[in-house]
Amino acid sequence: MLTKQIAELKTKIIESATLVEAMIEKSIKGLSEKNTDIFFEVIKKDEPKINHYDREIDEACTTFIAQYEPVARDLRMVLMILKMNNDLERMGDHAVNISESGLFLVTRPVLKPSANIVVMGQTAISMLKDSIQAFVHEDAQLARAVCDRDNIVDNLGDNILDEVTSFLREEHDGVKRSLHVMRIAHNIERIGDLSTNICEEVIYIVEGKDIKHHIDEED
Amino acid sequence: MERHIEESLTRFNTDLLKMAALTELAIHRSVEALKNQDKKIALSVIEDDQIIDEYENKLEEESLLLFALHQPMAVDLRLIMSGMRISTDLERIADLTVNISQRVLDIADKPTLKPFEDISKLSVNAKKMLKGSIDSFVKRDPELAKEVILSDKESNMLRNKIVTELIEEHIKKDPRVVNQAIALLLVARDLERICDHATNIAEDVIYLIKAKIIKHHLDELL
Repeated sequence: MLTKQIAELKTKIIESATLVEAMIEKSIKGLSEKNTDIFFEVIKKDEPKINHYDREIDEACTTFIAQYEPVARDLRMVLMILKMNNDLERMGDHAVNISESGLFLVTRPVLKPSANIVVMGQTAISMLKDSIQAFVHEDAQLARAVCDRDNIVDNLGDNILDEVTSFLREEHDGVKRSLHVMRIAHNIERIGDLSTNICEEVIYIVEGKDIKHHIDEED
Repeated sequence: MERHIEESLTRFNTDLLKMAALTELAIHRSVEALKNQDKKIALSVIEDDQIIDEYENKLEEESLLLFALHQPMAVDLRLIMSGMRISTDLERIADLTVNISQRVLDIADKPTLKPFEDISKLSVNAKKMLKGSIDSFVKRDPELAKEVILSDKESNMLRNKIVTELIEEHIKKDPRVVNQAIALLLVARDLERICDHATNIAEDVIYLIKAKIIKHHLDELL
């Protein structure tokens, strides 16, 4: 009965997810191409848009629950959209953080430990892409595969931290740049974590035990 | 069924407060571990994180049941949704205390570095902010919530001070302490993130009270 309303919420969250995905892609592209324009686009143009989506979806979901009092799967789906909305807004913030540090880095000489940042970024982007696909198609198998990839991103992050540490033991010129590289790695790591969150939610939606059983038991 | 809703809501509230108390304790203990270079405390923080995770799941299930069984009216609906969001922030804070404890394990056998006093200050701030945000939730006090949001600035300043000192006084001067310095730098970052989550909670409280989403309109509010 509520299929149409749920579909509308889903469309909105997919739009928002697509924008966040583009923001992260741009912030990594800005790093690899040393393009400051792209960073400004993420910070000035995209961020306000994602904040707008965040508010809009939050309100739409709240109104939906209040108005239609959904149960079982519909309810779970709306709550998942709310959580995903939260995750996406944070990923948008991470893209902004990456872009800010990017602005600092690309106008200065390249630092050795930054080479792996782009690879790490691309791995996180592929996780986010697949997590959105898993949500769109309600594909638990794909969602599981994404969760399994989170440790690849984490390992790349650990490597970068080690590289920065040993770099700093020998060089003192690049301290500020090193810290920005660390900050970017940390933000990418969080994007991987948040993609994993989305996938865990998808698995719950697809395979989670039906809330209806609880109702029957308690009645 | 109607008469049970109060009971379910009370339980939901109680569990949320218990989770908050455990999270506050985790911040306290992770910083104690750092202060005393105490691996045992650090390990126990890491181990107890599971209990906090379980609370998050429990609250999620309780809220689903509340929705499903009682069709809560608009005001309770907001309460439950805020509660769920708060539990997500608490869970993240607990993860950050695990990070801090990991750093303690990394550097426990090495000599301590000086900016520790400021880290201690930052951790006091973090605890105060979390406590304030939870109190503002319990008392439904928007003024207290605003105070929490405003004190986030101070935490950012403290963190920047710590980072600058670590760079100028340690990393640049003595390559032998780079490991410890970076560990403390990450601890400062984690503590500052805890303050951000406390700010999120305070924002949720204001949302709950004013039924208005202020996340991106802070200027209007303050």
